[in-house]
Amino acid sequence: MAHEFFNAKVVEIKDLWKKFQIYQDKTNSLKEKLIFWGRQRTEEFWALKNINLAVPKGKTIGLIGRNGSGKSTLLKIISRILYPTQGEVKVKGRLSTLLELGAGFHPDFTGRENIYLNASILGFTKKEIKERLNEIIEFAELGDFIDNPVRNYSSGMYMRLGFAVAVHVDPDILLIDEVLSVGDLAFQEKCLARIQDMQKQGKTIILVTHAPKQVEDLCDLAVWLDQGGARLQGPAREVAQAYKEFISGA
Amino acid sequence: MQYAPTKVTNYLGAVLVGQQLKEIYLYREMLKNLVAKELRARYKGSVLGFFWTFFNPLLMLIVYSVVFSFVMRVQTENYAMFLFVALLPWNYFATSVLQGASSLVQNGSLIKKIYFPREILPLSVVLTNLINYLLSLFILIPALLIFKVDLTLALIAFPAILIIETLLVISLTFLVAIANVYFRDLEHILGVLMMAWFFLTPVLYPITIIPQKAKFIFSLNPVTPIIEAYRNIFYAGKWPQWDVLGYLTLGLLALVIISLAAFGRFQKTVAEEI
Repeated sequence: MAHEFFNAKVVEIKDLWKKFQIYQDKTNSLKEKLIFWGRQRTEEFWALKNINLAVPKGKTIGLIGRNGSGKSTLLKIISRILYPTQGEVKVKGRLSTLLELGAGFHPDFTGRENIYLNASILGFTKKEIKERLNEIIEFAELGDFIDNPVRNYSSGMYMRLGFAVAVHVDPDILLIDEVLSVGDLAFQEKCLARIQDMQKQGKTIILVTHAPKQVEDLCDLAVWLDQGGARLQGPAREVAQAYKEFISGA
Repeated sequence: MQYAPTKVTNYLGAVLVGQQLKEIYLYREMLKNLVAKELRARYKGSVLGFFWTFFNPLLMLIVYSVVFSFVMRVQTENYAMFLFVALLPWNYFATSVLQGASSLVQNGSLIKKIYFPREILPLSVVLTNLINYLLSLFILIPALLIFKVDLTLALIAFPAILIIETLLVISLTFLVAIANVYFRDLEHILGVLMMAWFFLTPVLYPITIIPQKAKFIFSLNPVTPIIEAYRNIFYAGKWPQWDVLGYLTLGLLALVIISLAAFGRFQKTVAEEI
């Protein structure tokens, strides 16, 4: 039983530290690198300090905190966009990140062509994309616009298409960074419903947000990040309550 | 307190390269789509569209044949063809390296937002230019026939030479792409460097005019045997020098592995540096 429990962790983070070098003047030219070799003024900035986290399979975990608390950095490290300075990150299963909707969309291509392009950037094969194509088109609610170049889309339509692709790529683990505020109210409801569907299907979700309500509504567990450290982690309701009290007090 | 070292840094070089190749394979659809996007988007909106892929080498051919048959008369027999068979593969090489240098920096917004094997970006540049080169053969072969250059059985060596050239193109493109993230000047210096390299390679002139004293220096240029091989099979109707190409292949295979490993090592901080 204990063994099974151990295996069921899909994301494991141990002693994770992340340091950024903040340059006073960023020099990327050869001349300046030669002149200021080793003398460049940099400041160290620890964006994440000693984070330990285990996400059980099928659970939704919320990362909450103020701007600059390190939530997005943590999400980027789990998705392998950034690499940790120290520590270990283990991920089991296919992972998809919703950091940006419509990544790599080409304005001259039609919505349909861009679905292929976007989904393949998310790592999907042609067969997998074909299987989901109709569902994606239906979800995006673009009607005949699907065969128009996306440069003619409104920003809402653009986002809807991006979101439709992202939530249909069917990962085991889904990382979401504050993209739930896309489109009009009706579409937002639909996105929430889609996320709840994915929860029912047993997907693991990691959600970045600064709204305690979303944590209470959607998450099982939560981590409150403050200046790069985990200030509190545990059941979603408790963490959300403590965070709410903290911001209303501050 | 003690911290375990990051797992990703523990890999040996060989494991790293194997891992990279596997990841590239998993993202093959992205590679394919980026190449298709590049090929189709380049001439989007122009009247002739995709046909520009053919018109470009055709116009180049016309300009060169007019200049070298009427204006600047060169002793070499059929000089326009002599030049053309070498210039097309040179352009494949030079354009890939130049475009590849900016491939990571230009796609910074994608790199910062999404994980995918970063190798896909320079690879898509190489593949796009490879396809353009192959398409230009539809102009080259008829031109050779029109100019009455004898086409021989040696042409079947073409795929082998193309693969050897591609090994070189991939290695250099990887190296300049990753280096340019840390030294942005590279992209600008590279234009001049490639021009110098062009004149140091027997594209405009036959290898035979190189003075004996300079032969050794010229033999260090890996592009020379490749250009010579193309010229042998397309223009002279001779087989390429297999022994030279064999040694070159061994060296280039090592270079591909080194450049992939270097790319893998330095790509980790790319999202922070861009």
